[in-house]
Amino acid sequence: MKNNWRNSCFSAFTMVLLLSLFFVSCGQKKRELNVYTWADYFKPELIERFERENNCRIVIDTFDSNEAMYAKLKAGAKGYDLVTPSSYMVSLMDQQGMVRKIRPELIPNRKNIDPEFLKITIDKSMDHSVPYMITVTGIAYLKSRVADVRPTWALFDRQDLKGRMTMFNDMRETLGAALKSLGYSLNSHNPEELDKAKEVVLRWRKNLAKFENEQYKSGLASGEFLLVHGYSGDILQVQKENPDIAFTIPEEGTAISCDDLVIPLGAAQEELAHKFINFLLDAKVAAENTEFVGYLCPNRLSYELLPREMRENPALFMEPSVRSKSEVLDDLGRANELYIRVWDQIKAAE
Amino acid sequence: MKRSRFPLIVTLLVLLFFYLPIMVLVINSFNASRFGSGWEGFSLIWYRRLFDSPEIWRAVQNSLVIAFGATLLSLLLGTTAAFALHKYARSRLQRSHYLLIYTPLVVPEILTGISLLMFFVALGWELGLWTIFLSHVTFCISYVAMVVLARLQDFDYSIVEASQDLGADWLTTARKVLLPMLAPGLTAGGLLAFTLSIDDFVISFFVAGPGSTTLPIRIYSMIKHGSPPMINALSTLLLVITFSAVVVSQRVGEGTPPGS
Repeated sequence: MKNNWRNSCFSAFTMVLLLSLFFVSCGQKKRELNVYTWADYFKPELIERFERENNCRIVIDTFDSNEAMYAKLKAGAKGYDLVTPSSYMVSLMDQQGMVRKIRPELIPNRKNIDPEFLKITIDKSMDHSVPYMITVTGIAYLKSRVADVRPTWALFDRQDLKGRMTMFNDMRETLGAALKSLGYSLNSHNPEELDKAKEVVLRWRKNLAKFENEQYKSGLASGEFLLVHGYSGDILQVQKENPDIAFTIPEEGTAISCDDLVIPLGAAQEELAHKFINFLLDAKVAAENTEFVGYLCPNRLSYELLPREMRENPALFMEPSVRSKSEVLDDLGRANELYIRVWDQIKAAE
Repeated sequence: MKRSRFPLIVTLLVLLFFYLPIMVLVINSFNASRFGSGWEGFSLIWYRRLFDSPEIWRAVQNSLVIAFGATLLSLLLGTTAAFALHKYARSRLQRSHYLLIYTPLVVPEILTGISLLMFFVALGWELGLWTIFLSHVTFCISYVAMVVLARLQDFDYSIVEASQDLGADWLTTARKVLLPMLAPGLTAGGLLAFTLSIDDFVISFFVAGPGSTTLPIRIYSMIKHGSPPMINALSTLLLVITFSAVVVSQRVGEGTPPGS
C-alpha cells in the first residue's frame, strides 16, 4: 500500500513534468491571433490555410453564451483579437465602447456581403462589426404526420397537434414570434403591443408540450414532437438523419440571428484580425464555412459555389418577400425589463 | 433461515443507477446518429472526428496540466494548513484561519470566479493557464485541508514522539511515520482535488485567457454549437484509461510484498 502510493505520486509528478515540458516547447515565436468564438465555427482546414499564408498561429477559445462572454470581457479580460457575438450583444458592446471601429480599407472583400441582407442588419454600415453567419428561426415539422401546412405562426393554434408541439424557452424568440404574428416589430418597445403578444403566447401555450431549447431536435427526429419552433442551422442537421422533416418560414416574417465579427478594444493584433476578417469574406472560404457549419455566410458571391441541395433549401435561403418582413434581434435597452415582466407572467400563468 | 434478497436487489439497483447513464453514453459514442434519438447503426465516425480535432486535444492537455499541477500544490499547502489547524486548534489565530479555509467551500463558484478575474485584472496579470492554475489551487486547498484534517482528528501523536524518542530525525519521522499514516487522507484529498479541478467550469471560464480553454469550457460550447457525440467518444476513451489505470495500480499494489 505504502509503496503503491509513493509510486503513483512519483508517476503523477513525472507526468506533470513531461506535460509542462511539452507545453513550453509549443510556445514558438510566431504572431498569434486569439479568436474567441463558439465551438466548431470555422472549418479547421481553412484555419490552417490562413496560418500558412500569413505565417501566424490562430488560437481558438470558446464560449457557450453571449452573456457569459460579455460578463468576462466587461470585467476586464484582455488578449482576444476577434470575437463572434450575436448582433444584439454587439450593439450593447458598442454602446459601452468595448469594440473597435472596423477599418474598411483593410477589408476589400466587404463588397461580397449580400446587400439585401445588410438592409436588415443592425450595423448597416459595418462601422464596428462585419456579419459572419446567420441562422433563421422557423417551424419544422414531420411531413408524414402533419397535413396541409400553411407557413404561418398560426400553426401553433392547431388543435389537432395539441401536446405535440414545442416553442423556444427564450423570451425574445417566442414573444418575437407572437409580435410578428400580430404584424408588429419583434424589437417593439410598445407595452400595448407586448400585452397583445402575451395573450397570443398564452393561447399557444395551451397547445404546447413545453418550452424547449435543446431537446426539440431529437424529439422531432424520433417523432415525439410533430411540430417545433427551431433554428434553421439545427434543423438542417436533423434533416440529414430524418428526411421526413420539413422546414418552413412563417410568411409574417421571423427572427434572424446573426453572429458578427468584432475586434474588442483590448486586441493586440488589430491588423491581423482585419486580415482574417477579409479572409473569411472571400467567396470560396465563405462557401466552405457555410457547408461546414450549416449556417449561412451572407456572402453573395459564395451562394453559387454551394452544392445544389443547399442552394435550394428554404432553411438557408428565404423568400425575398418574407426576408423583407424579417428582423434581426436587437438589444432592447430599457425595454428589456418589460419583456422580462411579460415573460414571467407567461411562465407563471396556469 | 433464508437470507433476505432485499440487500442484493438494492445493491443492483444502485449500481444500475450509477452505471446505466455511463453505459448509454458509451453505446451512443458508437451510434451514427448525431442526436442519439435512435440507433442509426454502428459507426466510428465520432472517434475519427475526435482524432481530427486538434482543439479538443489542446483542451484535454490544458485540463491535465492544470489538474496535476493544482493537485500537487494544493496537497502540499492543504496538508500543512491542516497540520497548523489541528495542532493549534484553540488559538484565536487558527480559528480565523479555519474560517478562511472553510469559506471557499460555501462561497458560490460564480462569485469566486468573477472576483478572481477582477483580482487578476486589477493586478494587470495576463490571463491564461497560470491564472486558472492559481484559481484551482485556491479552492482545492480547502477541500484537501478538510479531508486531511478529518484524518488528523484520530491521529495518535504519541507514535511521532515515540519515533523521535527512538532517535529518528524530523525528516525520517515525516517520511517513515507521518506520511504512511496520513497516506489514505492524502490520497483521498488528492483525488478530490484532481476531480474538482478537471471538471470545474464556472471558475475556469472566467479566469481563462487566450489559448487556455479547458475541456469543460470546450464541452459546454460544443453542446450549443458542434457535435456532442464527439464528447461521448472522448468520455469513453477517458473511461477506458481511468479503468485500466485503476486495474493496473491494483495489480502493482498486489505484486509488492508488504512492508517493503
